[in-house]
Amino acid sequence: MKNLIVLVLLFAVQPIFAQIDRSKKPAAAPAKEFKIGDYEKFTLKNGLTVIVVENHKVPRVAFSLIVDRDPVREGNKAGYVSLAGQIMRNGTATRSKAQLDEEVDFIGASLSTSATSIFGSSLTKHQDKLLDLFTDVLYNPAFSEEELDKLKKQTLSGLKANQDDPESIASNVEAKLLYGSDHPYGEILLEEQVESITIEDLKSYYNTYFKPNISYLAIVGDITPKEAKKIVKKRFGAWERGEVPEVSYAVPVAPEENVVALVNRSNSVQTVLDISYPIDLKPGTPNFIQARVMNQMLGGSSSGRLFKNIRGDKGYTYGAYSSISSDPLVGSFNAGASVRTEVTDSAVHEFLYEMKTISTEQVPDFELQLAKNVIIGGFGRALERPQTIASFAINTERYSLPEDYYSSYVKNIQGVSGEDVLAIAKKFIKPENAYIIAVGKASEIEAGLSKFGEVKYLDMYGEEVDPALLKIPDGLTADMVIARYIEAIGGAEALGKIENVQIQMTVETMGQKLEGIQIQAQGMKSKMEVSMGGMVVMSSTTDGTDAAVSQMGNKVPLQDAQKEEQIISSSLFSEFYLEESGADLKLEGVESIEGEDAYNVSVTLPQGGTYNMFFSVESDLKLKTSKVLDTPQGQMTQALTFTDYQEVAGVKFPHQQTQSVGPQQVKMGINSIKVNQDLPEDTFKVN
Amino acid sequence: MKNFLSVLLTFLLAAVSAQERRIEFVEYDLSNGLHVILHKDNSTPIIAVSTMYHVGSKDEEVDKTGFAHFFEHVASRKSENIPVGGFTEYVSEAGGARNASTSFDRTYYYELLPSNQLELGLWLESERMFNMIVDSGVVETEREVVKEEKRARYDNQPYGTFIIEMLKRAFTEHHYMWPPIGSMEHINAATIEDFKAFKNKYYVPNNAVLSIAGDIEVEKTKELVEAYFGEFERGPAVVRDEIVEPKQKVEVVDTVFDNVQLPALFMAYHTPEIGAADYYAMNMVNLILANGASSRMNRKLVDETQLALAAGAQDLAAEDPGLSLVFAIATAGTDLEELKATMQGEIDRMKEELVPEKEFQKTKNQIENNFVGGNASIAGIAQSLANYYLIRGNTNLINTEINQYLSVTREDLQKVASKYFNDENRVVLYWLPKPQ
Repeated sequence: MKNLIVLVLLFAVQPIFAQIDRSKKPAAAPAKEFKIGDYEKFTLKNGLTVIVVENHKVPRVAFSLIVDRDPVREGNKAGYVSLAGQIMRNGTATRSKAQLDEEVDFIGASLSTSATSIFGSSLTKHQDKLLDLFTDVLYNPAFSEEELDKLKKQTLSGLKANQDDPESIASNVEAKLLYGSDHPYGEILLEEQVESITIEDLKSYYNTYFKPNISYLAIVGDITPKEAKKIVKKRFGAWERGEVPEVSYAVPVAPEENVVALVNRSNSVQTVLDISYPIDLKPGTPNFIQARVMNQMLGGSSSGRLFKNIRGDKGYTYGAYSSISSDPLVGSFNAGASVRTEVTDSAVHEFLYEMKTISTEQVPDFELQLAKNVIIGGFGRALERPQTIASFAINTERYSLPEDYYSSYVKNIQGVSGEDVLAIAKKFIKPENAYIIAVGKASEIEAGLSKFGEVKYLDMYGEEVDPALLKIPDGLTADMVIARYIEAIGGAEALGKIENVQIQMTVETMGQKLEGIQIQAQGMKSKMEVSMGGMVVMSSTTDGTDAAVSQMGNKVPLQDAQKEEQIISSSLFSEFYLEESGADLKLEGVESIEGEDAYNVSVTLPQGGTYNMFFSVESDLKLKTSKVLDTPQGQMTQALTFTDYQEVAGVKFPHQQTQSVGPQQVKMGINSIKVNQDLPEDTFKVN
Repeated sequence: MKNFLSVLLTFLLAAVSAQERRIEFVEYDLSNGLHVILHKDNSTPIIAVSTMYHVGSKDEEVDKTGFAHFFEHVASRKSENIPVGGFTEYVSEAGGARNASTSFDRTYYYELLPSNQLELGLWLESERMFNMIVDSGVVETEREVVKEEKRARYDNQPYGTFIIEMLKRAFTEHHYMWPPIGSMEHINAATIEDFKAFKNKYYVPNNAVLSIAGDIEVEKTKELVEAYFGEFERGPAVVRDEIVEPKQKVEVVDTVFDNVQLPALFMAYHTPEIGAADYYAMNMVNLILANGASSRMNRKLVDETQLALAAGAQDLAAEDPGLSLVFAIATAGTDLEELKATMQGEIDRMKEELVPEKEFQKTKNQIENNFVGGNASIAGIAQSLANYYLIRGNTNLINTEINQYLSVTREDLQKVASKYFNDENRVVLYWLPKPQ
């Protein structure tokens, strides 16, 4: 008998064990249908449309008021619309901000306002109190000057904080590029504009737009429609309707070819990438449903192509996504990621590759089905929140969607075909008409990005700037660049041990070979002689206070400023003397010297002579000096480049120098460098 | 009679509505030690399937920081029966969502799925627990991803590294001295052998909780859980080094230069572990200081004096004694010493004065609201249940913990503020813009 029971028990348990085959993904049980919760809708005499979603799961209720007006262009006072929304929460005719805060917090509620909304929620038991506060904020905002000043101060500090945030910078730049400053979506907050906003600006906004006839009120949660109706009549019935202006704007379009918009953030360890352009996509259209499915495959989630490629396969980033947004005025496409600095261009390449692929090749069926499942699954999960039902109801009204838009949503998603996806991708995915916005370390990413299109350097507000200035790391000065150079060639101590240097070189110009010898000694003494077949063709001498130059035996007349320049620029380790000579040094920017980024330091000597020196960003070594000459043919640049640094007596000397004036080049190859030689006393005698 | 009925009806309704706030659950152990918690809510056809392992960054060795989190990434990639990427792909195919997180004390994995995909969730979690594969392909890809996560969330964010700087000064012995993200150097150095050892030690059923919430049938789910998890063996008992942080005796003050525009001030006081006698009162002190626009710090620093752009206080509540963080980001042009003195004023006031009745009641109302909000989604419920069991040893705290708060008195608040808000018990960090 006992055995029998054991046997029965075994049978009872066995079938389940037997079903499990670990090697295969378990099959799904029959799917349950997602039911979209019901809502009630009614309109008050003043035109306020009310939507009620009843849900008693938790004892909470939420009220959201949405003002549905056309976007407002703020002109030279960008920010005032947002401040108008914020100030409503900062005090009413009878309650100061502190009192409002206190009363809201006391019931553990939340109450917030924006330029187009008021939102409040609380436990059901505090609902009456919440509505007192909600309606007070709606009807009786105080618009106090003092609160405006505080909001301005916070806004300005916020602006300052955002200057460090690469994502904020990217989003500013995107707004400016996509829509332009004449469009409400393209306006960017600027300090001086925020300063100029007045309380009258805010009042006028409130008086014009907070009207019931363009508003929706959604009530969600632990409340019955009957009670909601009663409350709404009592609390919102007397709100007066008003004429609200309607505005239209020019529709922004995508650029004709790719534009790389580079914002330098020299301390970045990552590049924030944002590939974006405006699109004409209206909410709730069949195009939107198709675009939604297409974008899901491209970059809608971690199962999208962008994520799989750029994070999964390449590991360039923590996440790579794209989005496609619809809007009654103008929508947009975005694809982006924060990527390691050194793979910035590789990442852009992959983004564009995936964009191109999805718009030229039909997607496989299994991938299409996966995308649909993801969308439908997310749709179903969102239904857990009663707020979702309310937003469905509001959208249906606002965008005049078909009544069954959301109840047919799953069916419509399922109906999108591979052909639909290809057609919609051709229409909306534009790998050749995009703004490629990159916020990162310009000196390291510029060259790589230039292959995708014209590179425009922008500041954090999207204004074009001189690229050279942008790439200087914060805090770096000319003195620091020179200090690094001295360190790089051996350090002050090693340099100090060198009394003099004697350099023998072969000079090549226009097919001829000449002999050169250069001697430099401490005390700003130098001598240079170039000779051909034993005959001196050029010489220059400095003795620390005076200088002489002769060519083919003829003395070249020098003005004082030229003498000063000759003495300093040809002295041993001349950079040492710049400061004590009273020269003015300035870090002008970063420029590319034969493919290598270099800091450009300008030198202005006390007597007015000027020249520039270029130091490698990477190695700190001096790569070049240059000087602008006034010649009978106009201005020409005389440049001397330094390459092939090799160590002699603990100090690195360039073993190849090339001098160029206009198209002429003189190459100087070093044959030997000798240090601390005994020199004849009259070596540096200036004749 | 009619009146009586209506009174009775009202009573019954009231009872029902009180019942609604209670989270019902069943819990039990499998023979291999895996603890199972099930919460049934059939209102929407979705489920949350989750596992929580009792291992976090505090279990890492000092030269292998960030490892538990790195492991979390690797553990979500591949198993004997799931190809690389399958964890994510299968969940997506099913229309679900998945993610994972690592804290000081525990590692959490979850899937949100349509309820007809319960078996998928169980299969994935059981594969992770028993059949996970760690190979160099997976490790190398995730190594880069984890490093990017560190750059994105910490290194490339203004003030992003404050927690790193704070912890390494606040703790001298305890492994809370680094955050779960760890260091680049250690992430670079992690080897396959490290992964295998970690897996064998911590990823065993007797060190984990399986928590399932949503549209399930309890009996059927129990059978499936047994089928997917019951066939595997218990692992060796987990032995941990219990490190006690010595009491801080001298105030630590330091300055950090960062790429920020606005200076900030961060302070951290050592506080008791979550659930300790003083914990609830200390938590309420933090709420009074910084929860909501009418909180003391917001009112004083942001509204009245406008010394700060933002101000806050936050419990770093953890299994072992943690920290209470108090911080403010200065408005442009503010002198940090003035900001500090004003913050100090609010902290001292907590010590010197009894919190007024009304403010005390406000704090209790806020707590009640937070509790109701936390239980509004099945994802939140699944995680809370797992957390209460694993860290606190009492699952039912999901229903009863609020009473611990409600039993705190105003005198308790003053007492704990005086006990913990002392200079010698804190670290102060001046966060300054790098000189231009």
